[in-house]
Amino acid sequence: MGTKWRRALLEGLLLCLVFFVIFGPISSLLIWSIAIRWYWPHVLPQEIGLAYWKQALGLQRDWAIAAVSIWGAFGTSMLVALVSTALVMTMAIPAGYALARFRVPLKALILLLFLMPKAFPQQPIFVNLLPTFTRWGLAGTVQGVILIHILVCLIFGVWITTSAFKAIPQELEEAARSVGATRWRTFWKVLLPLAAPGLLVSTVFVFITSLTEFTGTFFIGLPFVTTLPMLLYSSSGYNMQFASVIAIVLLIPSLLFMVLIQRVFRPEYMGGIAG
Amino acid sequence: MKGLRGGTGGFLPLFLLLPAVAFILVMYVYPFALSIIRSFTDEAGSLSLVNYHKAVSLYGRDILFSIQVAVLGTLISTGLSLALAAYIRLSDSRVARLVNSMSRLGIFLPYVVVAQMMRSFLAPHGLLNVLLANMGLVDIDTPLQLFNIRGLTFGFLWKETPFITFIVLSGLQVIDDTYIEAARSVGARTRHVILRILLPMIKPTIAIAVVLTFCTIVSTFTLPYMIVAGNPTTVTVDIAHRVTYFGDYRVASALGVFLYLIVGAMAIYYLRRTVREEVYGY
Repeated sequence: MGTKWRRALLEGLLLCLVFFVIFGPISSLLIWSIAIRWYWPHVLPQEIGLAYWKQALGLQRDWAIAAVSIWGAFGTSMLVALVSTALVMTMAIPAGYALARFRVPLKALILLLFLMPKAFPQQPIFVNLLPTFTRWGLAGTVQGVILIHILVCLIFGVWITTSAFKAIPQELEEAARSVGATRWRTFWKVLLPLAAPGLLVSTVFVFITSLTEFTGTFFIGLPFVTTLPMLLYSSSGYNMQFASVIAIVLLIPSLLFMVLIQRVFRPEYMGGIAG
Repeated sequence: MKGLRGGTGGFLPLFLLLPAVAFILVMYVYPFALSIIRSFTDEAGSLSLVNYHKAVSLYGRDILFSIQVAVLGTLISTGLSLALAAYIRLSDSRVARLVNSMSRLGIFLPYVVVAQMMRSFLAPHGLLNVLLANMGLVDIDTPLQLFNIRGLTFGFLWKETPFITFIVLSGLQVIDDTYIEAARSVGARTRHVILRILLPMIKPTIAIAVVLTFCTIVSTFTLPYMIVAGNPTTVTVDIAHRVTYFGDYRVASALGVFLYLIVGAMAIYYLRRTVREEVYGY
């Protein structure tokens, strides 16, 4: 009886601790996003309201509220993320198919290329691309930022796509081939529909990675390309409320993604670890 | 089956891989090589160690700071993760399931959001200090100063502990219950089941999770840039200063090479293991 109570007590403590550590910072964002006035050291704001949300969403314009409409940055972010995702998947699907289904010459070397950007810091890469991008007229342009986002996202696209194809047993394709279907037809009619859920995970993961990309955009895009993370950064120093509103907007896609793919997400997606 | 199992694909697989490989060569390998070459080049364009000399004399302390944060963050988050994962694996209580779902949250939240969260939560007049002050644990006039190594480490723990827990737990869940039952039936205590049986069985998985966490902490720019006030700070922040304030790509590149060196052994271990598993299957 004694150990049972002790166990329940310990579990209760653990639950409280985990809850506080995880939701403390998140609730700080939530409270700040609706705080109009919040003076130290009060536990809760003196005045709350949706003024910053309304202003950020373009529903009102009040010079007394230090927030601008986020729709411009939202549009830029969506444009960059949609184009980057389309281009990444166009490259990642053939690459993933080749890695999953063929004996590729120089496979070790090719895999190394796709793993290195995860192992080594990417910041020196962005820094060293900047002079080249400036020469080519790509620095500070949406096109330049898209190129950087493709770089950041491509490896995830290739890993998840490869693992999505690998998860489909080859026997079905072999059956199709043995009754005379061409390789192209087999890929299109057999493999692609079967791998579709995995490819969808890959696409959404790439999209969200692009949507929330910070470091590459910071070096290549600033000060002319303002994505949502850049807008968050620029308001973060002086305006806790507005920054919190943007952070929550950026948090929503990741949360939706997490809820939706909870069951199908596998550890090898995160690290290119062999499944 | 010819072609499908490989062998006679001919040039087709290389053709399929060409766009992705070409992109990585131009946009990754080329600037990677450039960063190393630039780091050894002086203003006149000749071979020199002047950038390294500057990097060490100006930012030597920050290089140590980066290593310190990475080691501290990796050790603590690994310890917490192993304990959490083992607890979730062995317990089938409601609390364990709840802790599991809550801990997933950190994996998917982007660093830029986590950074803003920490900036407001850990501020001198932020929510954490507000709560501690009202509980009487902190003096109102001298709140905790956390925009330094402590807050930075907390931010990294917040983000990386869920990641390691997720990877380790996936490894633990593959282990059959019979191993645990067999050990218990000969009188092994929970502590022994975890330390002598479960964790040793998934050593390679733990190693990969630890290595990736270390590399991520060393490489992350967003979090230290947004929450560390003043000095010392991480090398990633110094690189940004060097570029945005001085337009100095050479010293920035030398600092970048220091980052490569810090992750060096770990990164190579990860690359070798992953490539070997994919190509040779062990």
